[in-house]
Amino acid sequence: MTRHSETPTDDDERMDFEDAIVSDSEASADERIETDGGVGTPFEVVSEYEETRRDRYRKLYDAYVHAPISIIWRDWRARIGFTIVAIYLLMGTVGPLFVEPTSVTEGPALAAPFETMEYPLGTDNQGRDLLSQTVHSTSTILKMVLSGAVFTVGIGTIIGSIAGYKGGMTDTVLSSITDVFINIPGFPLVMVLGLMFDDQILGNPFAIGVLLSIASWGGLARAIRSQMLTLREESFVEASQAMGIGTSTIVFKEIVPHLMPFVVINLTNAGRKVIFEAVALYYLGILPFQDLNWGSILNQAYGANAHARPDAIHWFLVPMFAIVFISVGLTLLGQSLDRVFNPRVRARHEKTTADVEGDGDGETQTQDAMGV
Amino acid sequence: MTVSETDYQPEPKQGDSILEIRNASVTFDMDRGESRVLDDVDLDIERNEILGVVGESGSGKSMLASALLDAIVDPGVLYGDITYHPPDGSPIDILDLDKQGLKELRWEEISMVFQGAMSSFNPVRKIRTHFVETLDAHDYDIDEGIERTEGILEDLYLDPDRVLDSYPHELSGGMKQRALIALSLVLEPEVLVMDEPTAALDLLMQRSIISLIQEIKEEYDLTIVFITHDLPLVADIADRIGVLYAFEFVELGPTGEILENAAHPYTRLLLKSTPNLEAPIETMQPVEGSAPDPVNVPSGCSFHRRCPLATQECRDVDPGPYDAGGSHVSHCHHWESAREEIPMSYDLKEIDTGSESAKIGKGDTASRTASAEPVVSLDDVEVHFEKEKGFLDMFDEPDVVEAVDGVSMDIYERDVVVLVGESGCGKTTLGKTAVGLQEPTGGSVNYRGHDIWDVKAGDGDGSISWDEIRRSLQIVHQDPGSALNPHRRVKASLEAPLKRWNDDLDGNDRKQRILSLLEHVGMSPPEDYIDRYPHQLSGGEQQRVALIRAMLMNPDVIMADEPVSALDVSLRVEMMDLMIQLQDTFNTSYLFVSHDLSNARYIAEKTGGRIGVVYLGRLVEIGPPDEIIHNPQHPYTKALCWATPELGADNDDDESPIREIDIPDPTNPPSGCRYHTRCAKAREVCRQQDPGAFDIPDDDLHEAACFRVLDDHEYWDSESITEEDELVAQGDD
Repeated sequence: MTRHSETPTDDDERMDFEDAIVSDSEASADERIETDGGVGTPFEVVSEYEETRRDRYRKLYDAYVHAPISIIWRDWRARIGFTIVAIYLLMGTVGPLFVEPTSVTEGPALAAPFETMEYPLGTDNQGRDLLSQTVHSTSTILKMVLSGAVFTVGIGTIIGSIAGYKGGMTDTVLSSITDVFINIPGFPLVMVLGLMFDDQILGNPFAIGVLLSIASWGGLARAIRSQMLTLREESFVEASQAMGIGTSTIVFKEIVPHLMPFVVINLTNAGRKVIFEAVALYYLGILPFQDLNWGSILNQAYGANAHARPDAIHWFLVPMFAIVFISVGLTLLGQSLDRVFNPRVRARHEKTTADVEGDGDGETQTQDAMGV
Repeated sequence: MTVSETDYQPEPKQGDSILEIRNASVTFDMDRGESRVLDDVDLDIERNEILGVVGESGSGKSMLASALLDAIVDPGVLYGDITYHPPDGSPIDILDLDKQGLKELRWEEISMVFQGAMSSFNPVRKIRTHFVETLDAHDYDIDEGIERTEGILEDLYLDPDRVLDSYPHELSGGMKQRALIALSLVLEPEVLVMDEPTAALDLLMQRSIISLIQEIKEEYDLTIVFITHDLPLVADIADRIGVLYAFEFVELGPTGEILENAAHPYTRLLLKSTPNLEAPIETMQPVEGSAPDPVNVPSGCSFHRRCPLATQECRDVDPGPYDAGGSHVSHCHHWESAREEIPMSYDLKEIDTGSESAKIGKGDTASRTASAEPVVSLDDVEVHFEKEKGFLDMFDEPDVVEAVDGVSMDIYERDVVVLVGESGCGKTTLGKTAVGLQEPTGGSVNYRGHDIWDVKAGDGDGSISWDEIRRSLQIVHQDPGSALNPHRRVKASLEAPLKRWNDDLDGNDRKQRILSLLEHVGMSPPEDYIDRYPHQLSGGEQQRVALIRAMLMNPDVIMADEPVSALDVSLRVEMMDLMIQLQDTFNTSYLFVSHDLSNARYIAEKTGGRIGVVYLGRLVEIGPPDEIIHNPQHPYTKALCWATPELGADNDDDESPIREIDIPDPTNPPSGCRYHTRCAKAREVCRQQDPGAFDIPDDDLHEAACFRVLDDHEYWDSESITEEDELVAQGDD
């Protein structure tokens, strides 16, 4: 910096001003390092205090944990969805510690739900506890959901946004690959691959998740690409380019946040799709399994003609409810998460901006209201 | 507003008003409280007048327009009385009408021209369909209606057959706007409400439409309510002007009175803050402060916080209408002293133009010293865009748009060049090319003697890196709303350049620097602003953030693309002053792009810079602002000066200097001099030969691309080509 000018504020003001900063971030108070405060222009100002690690973590916590949770907690859909998903997460992680694994002839065959408190969801025709089966298969399913959803959305977003932003040859190549995957008949392919690689995927739910979503990222990539084509023309993108900011920063920090509501909905939808496909393939007996899971329970119930026997109908219903509930939970959560990415909603809930909110927002809101 | 009936009767002459508005209020319920976006407005609109309604954005002027048609959108609620007096028959209370009654009133009695002609037509339907639908919805005879439409379109200098059979995208902005006016007239209304009808149009088109409005008013016997933010624009045609501030009228009176003898401080300050071509620039001053929030309008006079004359009375008592002579009404307790306390620019002109103007001499900028090396120099730059071809015409020649065609220009240290031109003339493309954001298809762009695209490709001599160039050339965009990423806080946006270029700073340093910068540009307390999202800032504040973001790069040249056109009139001078002040602090050069000659003049004159006039991709004239405005050499520059609306009632309506309203198709530009199709002085030689840039003899900085500059050119023996278009020329007057 070589520019020099008059100091815009006199010294007294500057002192007040810095005092204000100190009181603002009391976390930095425990590690004060005095530096030279004499500054010529506002373009050469540096802080008197070095940023501590704790400061940085506190800021990150505010931005990525506190704000999102306080926003979604105001929405009833989010609260329900969040609770359902949290229950499943608990079931998948700590559930197996509390619920013992079940074994054949552990209890009476086909006990109805709530008949005995020992088997609250009843048992199957071999006397295995359905609650225990449901709880123990949760973690497998969740692993599949996680890997499948992350794979779909990750590949889709990366391919789509790079194709859309870069354009030209990159776009042509990436779009062609995308088109190939869109046109592959996904389900039959998964069935074939499942049979081919049954050794590798046996007992590896992450691999199954990826396998199930191998052909499902194409649509998302296409949609992201087309959004990208519009967003890359925005002035703020050009301003970033003019500042010499790198392509990946522009794409993933400047532009992709605009697409986050869309990406998140796709994330939860991809998760649901993995569950449905996995259950369908287990039910059809195509995927190999060692332990029981929702799909294979359904398979066995069908094999035992449970759908035709009133006394065994709960054998069907328990895994079905397990599937429906997590699907509802994911849908609700996905729909409400878009609020987290809306800066207008976000500003209203964040701790750090709580006090400045109000006066600045008015004009735009009125203008919105007036349709200006 | 407490109307004190004792000192003022709102109905001066009963009987000849066509619309009477009494105590009209519009409120919106918001989380933060009730927002009054129209506050107890009383207004009489007289039959066959043109009433100009002037107000800044967010002053409630569009609300007023919607209220006249009882078309306030939900959840807004309209109270009060609006009475319509038809030419024959009994008065109609508009707010009491049922659905059927409203349908008959809207469009048939009172119709409206909306702001965005672009979005007012359905893009998948032909223009004719829009007319047929309107006629059909109101049970009019369609054949008769279309016949009438053709007449109206002809009156608006449009070819009826061509326009009616076009899709909206096939028409230019000006044509669409005229078609929209025709659409609003097709049911023969009595009152026409025009909400910023020319806001999206170019100067020349704006001026032409303004004169058309006067003609159609006579022809169709209309009462026109013309709503705009641009006072000079309406000054030419309005019989009376009402000034809106903070959702109520502060002043209403005959145009001459308002312009020359305004009796409200706001009007006077607004007039002073409006850049124009004539008044000395020292007299142009911004209006301090900003308009109030509709939820929280100050008690008493709503202007008292910004008013230099405010007293305790203003804070406590809402000023009722004071009669300021004739039908001139002012809502100010101190209307009499306002006239003396706030002198207008034309009063000042007579007193003294001040010694300050003498300081900004021609020698001030480095551009004057011939030996100086330019920072950025454009050499015969061409930017041609190929239009996308369809699959079926793959064997045809592609359509090429010559956005910039053979422009040479130098920008020196601490220089200011303002590019002026109509939209679509390539001035923005030229600007972006100059700062290396658009690759030229021909010619070269040099930064301190290095071709920047060679350097980027790695063919430079290695003495300068692309990063260095990238850093030195910055841009400030037109629309501050989209120039800042809506998902990032002020802090994140401003941190980006620091993170990229100043690795040595940690988070606290960056924050401190951003805080002091925000304070420097007048956004205080900065702690309040740093964590805001762009939507929590006003337009002016957004533009300041965008400006300091560019300044953080410590650039040599900033290309500012219409930096003030998205701001309110009263804020423009302030923003331009800030930019000039920042230039002094940081030694940058500016390349401004503007469509408004008065803003261009303000900037260029205040900094001792130059104005460049761009027409269809060519630089047709460049020179110091004084020369460009008072001694324009190119006929196009003359036309621009003519079209720039001027304040002051003495408006000598001289002949239009253009022969054709519409700009030629840029994919197929005219041969020879590109302006010859519209030039009133064009001769045969203009059609054949392309004029280069010629020096004007009396000033070495002034150049124009017109044969008329040369005394001994064959132009003077060439035959005029203007006669054949005589008819059009008459039409444009």
